[in-house]
Amino acid sequence: MFKIVLIIVSLFTLVTTAQTDWVKWGKTEINYEKKDRTRHKDYSYHGGSISELAVKTLANAYWFFISDLDGDNCPFSPTCSSFLLQSVKETNVVQGTLMFFDRFTRDYNFIERYNRYPREKDGHYYDPVSLYTLNVDKIKYIPPSAVVEP
Amino acid sequence: MKIQVFLCVLLSFVSTAFTQEKQIDFNSEKNIKKFADYLFCDKDYLRAAEEYQRLNAYKENDTIIFKSGLSYLFIGDYSTSIDNFAKISNSSLFYKNSKLEQMKAHYLKKDYSVMRSFYKNNFTNEYDYSDQAEKLFYFSYLVSEDQLPQKEKFLIPFNSNENEIISSFYDWKNDPPYKSSALAGILSAIIPGSGKIYTGDISDGIFSFLVTGVFTFLAYDNFHADHDTRAWIFTGLAAFFYGGNVYGSVAAAQIHNAKITFEFNDGLNVFLQNKNYFVPVYDFCN
Repeated sequence: MFKIVLIIVSLFTLVTTAQTDWVKWGKTEINYEKKDRTRHKDYSYHGGSISELAVKTLANAYWFFISDLDGDNCPFSPTCSSFLLQSVKETNVVQGTLMFFDRFTRDYNFIERYNRYPREKDGHYYDPVSLYTLNVDKIKYIPPSAVVEP
Repeated sequence: MKIQVFLCVLLSFVSTAFTQEKQIDFNSEKNIKKFADYLFCDKDYLRAAEEYQRLNAYKENDTIIFKSGLSYLFIGDYSTSIDNFAKISNSSLFYKNSKLEQMKAHYLKKDYSVMRSFYKNNFTNEYDYSDQAEKLFYFSYLVSEDQLPQKEKFLIPFNSNENEIISSFYDWKNDPPYKSSALAGILSAIIPGSGKIYTGDISDGIFSFLVTGVFTFLAYDNFHADHDTRAWIFTGLAAFFYGGNVYGSVAAAQIHNAKITFEFNDGLNVFLQNKNYFVPVYDFCN
């Protein structure tokens, strides 16, 4: 009899003072899936001037025949081909082409990249078009020690 | 046996009945202030400011107004912070501190001209903290685009420990080590890559020289060997690399200048934060 009373009392005490915040202590779903950081290419056309369309066609051809087979090897972000597209879109075909050739030359330089460009989380060197349009107001200097969110 | 049962029942009854027996009035003045002070010391300034506003004593107690002003200052709401500090009467112990904090708030708000006129109207030589205020007054010239005062006059408020670094800041501001983008472009037009070397990008300059040089040589060599088609292709590529090198040198000079400005401003911020904006550190939490 004593044991039954003791159990009932213990259970009663336990239930009345027990933790009721089930949400807080509930099971959580953990996702171990690794984030996909592959740079996907956009082959679609979104209008624009004739020069933009011509450059886009050139870039698409390069992606289809060379880049997709060769792999994601450009150390920069945006890649040199995307840089060309963006620079032509942001400026004009002449200036954009000069920006591209300058970028292409810097791409050859494998020395001192680490203390020249900030890095994205996936390791690519962040080198946006806005730094090279010759518009001083658009230049937002980011120190090489910074990590940039892609 | 009966005693054991009785004790168990009594114990469980007591523990159940008294678990939430004590009713706490969380909205009492005392508890709101206690909570606000806790949040302030926990550096949760946004909520601390809200809790201080809830107090009836908010309008009367200068300590609460001052801490509320500090909370708004820390969260970056400088206008509300200035409004709070301005409410402190001249009979208060915090009156002089509040004037200094208002200067700091104007500085952080980047209202440098307002800050300077505030200084001139409120701080005299006899006034407490006038030395600190004068330091912030002159320091503001380093971050604004206004004409710098004479160096001798500028350095007077700063002590011997600060003098050297303030002097270097002054020299930097007066004559920043910028590079001319026009000169970088001209240099690269004469010798490919030299403009980039001038802006400090030595390896980029060398690679520019090599790439342009190699394609120029290939063009020359193919013309020499009567391979005209290949020669013209290499000529075109050499021309584009040459143009890109001149363009890139101009851009490199602009980026170099942006870097200089960034590093200068960063240096000023670090110095000023280490000096706590020449404002005393208050110990409200110990």
